[in-house]
Amino acid sequence: MSGPQQVNLTDLDLAQLADVRKQLDEELTHLTSSFQQLKAVQAKFRNCIECVRELKGGQSKPVLVPLTNSLYVPGKITDAESVIVDVGTGYYVKKTLPQATAHYNAKITYLNTNISALEEAIAKKQENMGSLINVMQAKVQEAGAKA
Amino acid sequence: MSLQTKLQNVTQEFQKLQADMAKAVEARERLGTQLSENELVKTEFEKLEPLNDVYKLIGPVLVKQDQAEAKTNVNTRLDFIKGEIKRVEAQIKDIETKSELKKAEYIAAQTAFEQQQSQQVSP
Repeated sequence: MSGPQQVNLTDLDLAQLADVRKQLDEELTHLTSSFQQLKAVQAKFRNCIECVRELKGGQSKPVLVPLTNSLYVPGKITDAESVIVDVGTGYYVKKTLPQATAHYNAKITYLNTNISALEEAIAKKQENMGSLINVMQAKVQEAGAKA
Repeated sequence: MSLQTKLQNVTQEFQKLQADMAKAVEARERLGTQLSENELVKTEFEKLEPLNDVYKLIGPVLVKQDQAEAKTNVNTRLDFIKGEIKRVEAQIKDIETKSELKKAEYIAAQTAFEQQQSQQVSP
């Protein structure tokens, strides 16, 4: 992407304005999709925290373990004090319940910083889009009045 | 070689350089993602207590690993990625310089060709 251009919107003609609008549209779609992806990942982590909470006090609780989508075997929880957490690059770490909760909370906070930065960028782009559309409408009216 | 053929050749070479640049930039981005992921794992490993077993996902199976071995693995991987990043960045710089030269070549070839065209029209 080229660097920021300090061009006055009113200096551009309708065709160029349409081009800029298309570019803004693409950027906005891309930012919004990234935003949704981050939110989805956050929701997954919150779900993990919920599961960890449910596990508490489940020592020797009977459970049904899925072998396939429709086949389960009965089992018992042997260790309700620890879980195995995905830390990335194919490594998993056995953590105690509080350690695991802390881990997921840290991940959620980390995502929050990225999400707020994205929100700001999206708001700015929408502002730009708004002023662009105003200028476009003014130009169209101008052209219509001249004709 | 006619000026037109020369112009076409230079254009082709320039486009090839652009394609190479795109590939190199993509590789650099991929390496960047791998770097941050491995650094995350490294920080995670530094927090480990002896009771935290480390497992590695091999196929569908979680296999228990020695903590020290896992830490060494991640560090080696990090060093490798950093080396790769340096290599790709040097590659990108190299392609950039070649691109600039090629652009100058293109402009010269185009000017020469246009001059020849105008000379043929008005002898």
